[in-house]
Amino acid sequence: MIQPQTHLNVADNSGARELMCIRVIGASNHRYAHIGDVIVAVIKEAVPNTPLERSEVIRAVIVRTSKELKRDNSMIMRYDDNAAVVIDQEGNPKGTRIFGVIARELRQLNFTKIVSLSA
Amino acid sequence: MASQLFPQALHMIPINQVKSFNPVKNLGFSAFLSRGPSPLTASKVSVSGTHLKFHFGSDLGCFARRDFIVRAESNPEAEANENGVEEPETKAEAEVEAGEGGEDEVEEEKPKEPYKPRVKLGDIMGILNKRAIEASDKERPTPDLRAGDIVEIKLEVPENKRRLSVYKGIVISKQNAGIHTTIRIRRIIAGIGVEIVFPVYSPNIKEIKVVKHRKVRRARLYYLRDKLPRLSTFK
Repeated sequence: MIQPQTHLNVADNSGARELMCIRVIGASNHRYAHIGDVIVAVIKEAVPNTPLERSEVIRAVIVRTSKELKRDNSMIMRYDDNAAVVIDQEGNPKGTRIFGVIARELRQLNFTKIVSLSA
Repeated sequence: MASQLFPQALHMIPINQVKSFNPVKNLGFSAFLSRGPSPLTASKVSVSGTHLKFHFGSDLGCFARRDFIVRAESNPEAEANENGVEEPETKAEAEVEAGEGGEDEVEEEKPKEPYKPRVKLGDIMGILNKRAIEASDKERPTPDLRAGDIVEIKLEVPENKRRLSVYKGIVISKQNAGIHTTIRIRRIIAGIGVEIVFPVYSPNIKEIKVVKHRKVRRARLYYLRDKLPRLSTFK
């Protein structure tokens, strides 16, 4: 359940460390973002000497949430943190490596590049 | 016969009524007075005597009550003495009747059938759950799981038909709900803590194996979320 002002970790090596959500992409009253939703975020903390800098507005896709994710086979998954992967307008990740575990739902949402980069 | 039985019963009633009703109210006594049948005129007189006493106050009231009780018990005896020879026989019969009054069913003289427990509406869900669990246990036996067990689960995933996914971790909670009994497994995967809830009797689960057990003093181990990742790591 990511909403504006939520701070998220970054799960790739794009250069950002921490993001703050400023908008959930979707309908005008799309309140919360879950795993697989795209958000507009601002970089709050960045690794030095990388293309991305602090206070840059970028798009990202949510890959882990502390809010439970329910599956059709009655399984419920919950991660310990909220994390996102920085993407460009087409949906391709800006980084080259993905850290941490990724939910299988991203494969169905056409983020296949992210899924293939993760373990 | 019945009239011999009833006087005893009627004498019994006022004793109970006296105990339950407030002595200040006169309702109980008036009710008794209305119930008394004609042969008990002697008892009626005695009651009215006590009724008068009652007006003097609550102290006398309790005495009057006791007096009343004594009078009620003595009345059948007085009647028995009055009537003479007839009474002992009928009284004996009445006593025998009173003794057997509660066992009217036995007079039928049929051997009682063994008591069949009735299935009530409230039991239905429990019975259905039990049947569903038995059906699931026939296909795959489920071990007894508790919080603190380190468990390995083999799951069949529709996308990955060749291999079974393996999930290992510590059971941090078990929610009992019949066929939808679930366990929550916690594990650190790639540096991130992951908790997954599995329905224990799901047909997708191909195997549950208890690998180890950790001594815990709780049923829900949610404190592990705040602890070091080392405590939730299982190779």
